[in-house]
Amino acid sequence: MSTQRSVRIRLAIAYVAAGVVVLTLLAVTQPFPNFVLWFAFALPFIYLEWRAVEINDQLMASSTIMVALTGGTIFAIEGSSAALGMAAIAAVGPLVPRDFRERRWFQPAVNFGQLVISAGFAGFALDLLIPTGIDPSAAGNIARVVGAASVAAVAYAILNYGQVRSIVKAAFGRRDIRPWSGMAMILPAYFVMGVLGGFLGIVYATVGFSVLPLILVVFVAGHYTFASYGELREAHEATLRGFIKALEAKDLYTRGHTERVAYFAQLVGEDLGFRGSRLERVRVAALIHDVGKLAVPRDLIRKRGRLTEEEYENLQTHAHVVEEILAEVEFLRPMVEIASGHHSQFDGSGYGGSGHQHGKRPSMEARILAVADAFDAMTSTRSYRMALSQEFAFEELRRNAGTQFDPAIVESLVRALTRTGERYGSPGLVDEDQARGMAEGRTSGQV
Amino acid sequence: MARSEAAPRSPIMNVMWALAFAALFVVLAMEASDRLFEILVAVVLLAGASQIVVPATSGNSLSLGFAVAAAVPLVLHAPGGDVDLVAAATVFVGGGLVAWVVAVLRGQDAVVSLASAMRRAFGAGVYAVIIRYVTPLAEDLIGFDSDAARLIGFAAGSAIWFTLEVFLWAFVTFGRRRISRRYLWLLAVKDWMVALSLLATGALFGFVYGDIDLWAAIVVVGVPYAFAHLAFHRYQDSRTTYWQTIRALSRIPEVAGLSPDGHGDRTSEMAVRVGQRLGLSPDEVEDIRFAAMMHDIGRVTLNEPNVIKMGFTEEDIARWGSEIIGESAYLERIAHLVRQQHHPYRRPGEYKDLELPMASKVIKAASAYDHATTELGFSQLEALEVLHRGAAYDYDPDVVEALREIVDAGM
Repeated sequence: MSTQRSVRIRLAIAYVAAGVVVLTLLAVTQPFPNFVLWFAFALPFIYLEWRAVEINDQLMASSTIMVALTGGTIFAIEGSSAALGMAAIAAVGPLVPRDFRERRWFQPAVNFGQLVISAGFAGFALDLLIPTGIDPSAAGNIARVVGAASVAAVAYAILNYGQVRSIVKAAFGRRDIRPWSGMAMILPAYFVMGVLGGFLGIVYATVGFSVLPLILVVFVAGHYTFASYGELREAHEATLRGFIKALEAKDLYTRGHTERVAYFAQLVGEDLGFRGSRLERVRVAALIHDVGKLAVPRDLIRKRGRLTEEEYENLQTHAHVVEEILAEVEFLRPMVEIASGHHSQFDGSGYGGSGHQHGKRPSMEARILAVADAFDAMTSTRSYRMALSQEFAFEELRRNAGTQFDPAIVESLVRALTRTGERYGSPGLVDEDQARGMAEGRTSGQV
Repeated sequence: MARSEAAPRSPIMNVMWALAFAALFVVLAMEASDRLFEILVAVVLLAGASQIVVPATSGNSLSLGFAVAAAVPLVLHAPGGDVDLVAAATVFVGGGLVAWVVAVLRGQDAVVSLASAMRRAFGAGVYAVIIRYVTPLAEDLIGFDSDAARLIGFAAGSAIWFTLEVFLWAFVTFGRRRISRRYLWLLAVKDWMVALSLLATGALFGFVYGDIDLWAAIVVVGVPYAFAHLAFHRYQDSRTTYWQTIRALSRIPEVAGLSPDGHGDRTSEMAVRVGQRLGLSPDEVEDIRFAAMMHDIGRVTLNEPNVIKMGFTEEDIARWGSEIIGESAYLERIAHLVRQQHHPYRRPGEYKDLELPMASKVIKAASAYDHATTELGFSQLEALEVLHRGAAYDYDPDVVEALREIVDAGM
């Protein structure tokens, strides 16, 4: 922990220093833009930075690139320094009250540095490529200015993205940067917004100050692009949390189980090279794979001992009714298909859900879920038996590989767990009968 | 609830309207003959853009046509700089006519879509007139430069246009659905964000048209419009997701046999109607819709043998339910309503609880009504009798009154 802290302190100092150096150099050598004009763009920049949207785990996105590039294009056309103007705008952006309220010092510090660098370089590109005093409305000049804005937008987006990515890797030492796969997705949006900023700069330079309110509306529209994405994401998360909460309310044992199965499924998915939304789909499917239990009738749950064939059928029917209900939630549909396929066997036999056809292999995702589910079932304590050891579970999975389980996935799970060094189940408990006996109190054992 | 009560349909009337509309267009077009080509292009654009609907909260269909119409008076001006009102009116009438024909061909109700086409043409006309007269006023009297004056004209025109649209829409819709007018007005005003982005997009085009190349002008307005369009669709999607989730969750206790089948659906529908009748705000009604759907979700817990052994009360069910949905900030308000819905209006010998949200009281009454009519097998009259007996203690008398009116009206 302390090493991480020292890494953060060093990063923060380095970025603040770099930001200050860049700003000072620019301020000494370059002419500052008209202050009122600068302020007219600094204000929306700050506002949009405050309203940044969490579009993925702790990844904040805002449409500020559009504001910065609009300002920069105007500065460059009017002959003042776009580099200084944009860097100065970017310098005030990271002063976000949210960070101060939550007593975070790291984020504002590195954001100050990385934004000043990104904006400074983008501005520099505009200064180089746009001749001072160019008439932006003249034929051919629009293309020239827009070309410059595109170069600047690419520079800004890549510098911004690259720096944030490396900072997160260094400072938080994430094992997986899965949430960040979403970031590459928003790069095109950043680019388009940047180029649009160039166009808006042309509009301002042509029409004049009175068009500013309309430009502000465009900025807000850009903001809503991200805000709506955040909202949709929150809707999906809330949906999942609701179902999981309902499941937990019914059955406390399920809580740990679903979370562990989701974790194992994710480990395997990563090991097999799943990325982004495909990985997310497996994880979510694991989280909801037991939701069918919600509708199992009371008498079946209360029943002790083995279920008759008929009762088992009944149980499955109820589980399927829930799956059908869940599938009405549009974005859950693919996950529900995976979850409903996880009881079918690798060789195509067995009782499966609606997504199962006899003699046909279940989908890759469903096979992963089957292995993860079985592994956790063996290595966790149930009402009728103690948890078995990890070795026993591996062996059992391997024994059934090829028939019930996909051999590649079994090996992948073994590999992933060996790599992380985590251990599950009771050490040394390899006899199933003994485990059952211990749960019923027949045999006493120390585990 | 009947969404549109059958308006008297007479094909002859439709033809007459169409002819009148067309005649007006021809007269206007002859008057403005010197710029016929521009007008024709604008008419086609307006009619086409009217087909691209932007999702709005209220159910009032706002379309890209608003953006095109907003640009028209700014683009079509006389050599001196004043808005060419005849040309603008020609575009609005012609565009409205074509859009209406397209709507009818697509199978929409001819009368309803004619009313909305005329409303739009009228609103846009008022917008053009205001720009025409406010702009020189701002320039001469107050001394703004011509660009700033143009902006002022646009701001005044669009504000009045939107106000007109809201009032006319609420007025027309009120005739078709029996809902409080306050509810409809507030509902329509909620669209201001969508309307503003459409109108500003159009105005931006009008401002740069002629000053920069056409392709650049199209990019300048097209890209922001695409952003806004996408964003509004996503908002719509997230609302849909919440709604689908809540429906799915509410069905779970029903399929498990812990709650009567369809109870959530019916309670929600009735509670929404009562809320609209009482003139609650659209946000409150939306909360009622969700919370009523979910009010029995706590019953999933009844599957657990231990719970049944220990015993439970209605209050427990309400608490469990609110714990299940209280997970997200968006649904927090709804969780609160679910938590409160079992509370009686007033316990005997106590003052009524002023903190109790109206929504909770509405849900309690709607749920009891559904319980009486379906599970107890009572007739509507008997069910109302049950509510009346509980009025002022279990149920809020105002809510019972509104519910009775709805049942009486046979909606």
